[in-house]
Amino acid sequence: MKKILLILSAILACGFSAHAKLNVVATLPDFGSLAREVGGDKVEVVTLAKATEDPHFVDARPSFVVSMRNADVLIDGGAELEIGWLPPLLQNARNPKIEIGKPGRVEASAGVRLMNVPTNVTRAAGDVHALGNPHFTVDPIIAKAIAQHIAQSFSTLDAANAAVYDANYKKFEATINAKLQEWGAALLPFKGLNVVAYHDSWVYFAHRFGLNIDIFLEPKPGIPPSPSHLTEVIAQMKAQKIKVILVEPFHDRRIAEKVASATGAKVVDFAQFPGGLPGTDNYVKLIDTLVSRLAAALK
Amino acid sequence: MRKFILVTLAIFPLAIASAQEAAPAPNSSPASAVSNATPASAADVEALRQQVQSLTETVKTLQQQVKDQQAALEKANFAGEAPPPQNPEPSPIAGAAGSPAPAASAPPRFPTEDTSVVSSTTAPAVSGTPAPGSFPTTDTSVVTSAPETISSSGAGASLAQPITIGGGKNYMNISFDGLFALAYSSARDLDHIEVGDHDPQQRGFNARNIELAFDGAVDPYFEGFANIVFKLDNDNKTEVEVEEAFLQTTSLPFNLQLKAGQFFAAFGRINPTHPHTWDFADAPLVHGRLLGPDGLRGVGAQISWIVPVPWYSQVIFAVQNGRGGTGYSFRNPGDGGIFFGRMTTDREARGLQDFVWIPRWENSVDLSPTQVVLAGASGAFGSNETGANSRTQIYGGDFLYKWKSSHAEGGFPFVKWQTEVMYRRFEAGRGMNESFPVAETFHDWGMYSQVMWGFKKGWVVGVRGDYLYDTDSHFTDDPDRQTRSRISANLTWYPTEFSKIRLQYNHDFLEENFFLAGRDVDSVFLQFEFILGSHGAHKF
Repeated sequence: MKKILLILSAILACGFSAHAKLNVVATLPDFGSLAREVGGDKVEVVTLAKATEDPHFVDARPSFVVSMRNADVLIDGGAELEIGWLPPLLQNARNPKIEIGKPGRVEASAGVRLMNVPTNVTRAAGDVHALGNPHFTVDPIIAKAIAQHIAQSFSTLDAANAAVYDANYKKFEATINAKLQEWGAALLPFKGLNVVAYHDSWVYFAHRFGLNIDIFLEPKPGIPPSPSHLTEVIAQMKAQKIKVILVEPFHDRRIAEKVASATGAKVVDFAQFPGGLPGTDNYVKLIDTLVSRLAAALK
Repeated sequence: MRKFILVTLAIFPLAIASAQEAAPAPNSSPASAVSNATPASAADVEALRQQVQSLTETVKTLQQQVKDQQAALEKANFAGEAPPPQNPEPSPIAGAAGSPAPAASAPPRFPTEDTSVVSSTTAPAVSGTPAPGSFPTTDTSVVTSAPETISSSGAGASLAQPITIGGGKNYMNISFDGLFALAYSSARDLDHIEVGDHDPQQRGFNARNIELAFDGAVDPYFEGFANIVFKLDNDNKTEVEVEEAFLQTTSLPFNLQLKAGQFFAAFGRINPTHPHTWDFADAPLVHGRLLGPDGLRGVGAQISWIVPVPWYSQVIFAVQNGRGGTGYSFRNPGDGGIFFGRMTTDREARGLQDFVWIPRWENSVDLSPTQVVLAGASGAFGSNETGANSRTQIYGGDFLYKWKSSHAEGGFPFVKWQTEVMYRRFEAGRGMNESFPVAETFHDWGMYSQVMWGFKKGWVVGVRGDYLYDTDSHFTDDPDRQTRSRISANLTWYPTEFSKIRLQYNHDFLEENFFLAGRDVDSVFLQFEFILGSHGAHKF
């Protein structure tokens, strides 16, 4: 009996003492990347969803409960993108540090004006998000705001390293500000052009760089492409001479290729999350890749 | 409305311009404020100071105006008018003003700030000792909703927020689930073939699980859940069931969680879940016969603990009354006072031994980023009503393996293999007043194993094998104690996660026996379901 108690207390001690670094859990890889930018080597970041999978449908696997149980900080979108899998994890994690309202909870959408907020929420329109389109991190200006919130959270919880987080954030901000000049210039020649996407994930990206991404292979968000809808899309693409179809790693590329071959357009692999495309292990590289791929395809 | 936007837009650049001029005032560093000036006289400085002061005043009033406009705008937006991001191109002035980094010598051409998407980044001081210039506030002239930005529950997200279920601003989530089945069976008495209470019970249409579900935070300490089930019996009479209604703690220390109320026992994988999340249209034989047609649930309390080890390990311990039909193998008075042939005693609890004690231990590891296994062991121990001191013990083991593609869309493709084994030791006494000729001990066991393959977005095909062995009793001819086996196959289409259509085929092997004349039974079910209301998040 005594032995068991000893072992138990040893285990408990392990559980409580491993706090040299801030334990950060990010629901999605974009938040994870921003957390690494800001936290540097002062934080340990665990990302739940994979960069290549559909962020709407992630399994609430038990190992996530373990990560969230140990988290000092949880970064989630806060705009219902993860509503299909985050709530049961939060219920089971029983971690008061990451409750909404605590400094350990960063809701990335806080302070972001979401676009496409439906005035009338009906699921007849497909998988619409009542709070607005949740795919906002691909706008670098919004990414800066998220990084800033993350820095605030880290600094509050780990005041000793506040200066480090501050400096890291500033560095990230400066990088983004400088990069925005490059990205803006690279896409400037294509301002106002129409681009087709498989799913409505790019409204913020389009808004930032002056593109129109309003035509989708999905007839409605989350509804698989139907032949009749694709016929319509092909007609639109021909009429508007649209040259590019954006697909994400988890989309059915063959459908996009069919449409491309019918219209002479190019299929461009796009990803919302760092790591979703080769050579994009952080946020800046991801946007670099997106911009250069898109610019090359639109030429 | 449009006017407001115009006015606001007109004011923004003005305010920004003033802000820019006024900005250097507080630090009054001559180098940056008046760099081009020749050494100034005291009078000049005084004049300048006054000028700066008046400018500061102007800025303040302008800010107030902007705030007012903003408030008006928000109000207008709440009334359901144009959503905010319809704003025109980001104003280049805002961009220039917004990047306070003094290093940037030339004003950036491409805007690096956009107040139309980031409402406010002004935040309360971050650390105790903010370094000068920490977290540059992007643009003080457009403080829209500073208090809202950080702490609110997603409310700061949008100016126009629909007040609706699933839209965030509600005290509880409400959903409605309708689960129906059209059934054909070669057996006329389908209610004897199917073992679960929510399974199809007759040839033709069945509405066995129409469910209202509520959940939400009770207060900072508890969450509440309730599932009220309506079902139509074979004569189309409505029956109501309080399937679950419990509260659960949210922030107990040491990874503990308490639950109390009416709830499903955490025994195996099928029992704690609601029929609409099942992969088949009916319950496995072993589940319906050993835990009961309604599953093992009741009024009680439960404590669970996440063991602080590097993998997922949870210990759950519950106690329930275990009385009535939902405590099937325990203090169940049976149909008309008869259970397993015995006249039941139907007594009050005499002590702790008459409650059902339900421990469970489950563990899970990720074999790889795409593969997860979960294994659990459960038990349920208590008294039964067939004798003064007769006891029941049920043991269960369960195993789940799941693979999901790293490029899954909508959660597909996946492969899921789930198996449960249960064993029941049932001391069947001599009934009330020792009226039954013998006391026996039944050793019953059974298992099912199923593989589901989600081969394409929205499409799942599955097979299941079922086996149930019940100790042969020479003294009773209870149809509920017949040894049986079954194979099932089904195909499910989920148009979205809120609806499904399922076609299932069952083949029941039935031995020559007193009740089903030894003829195998074929059944076909067409199950359909819809969900209204809040998004049904799924546990693993």
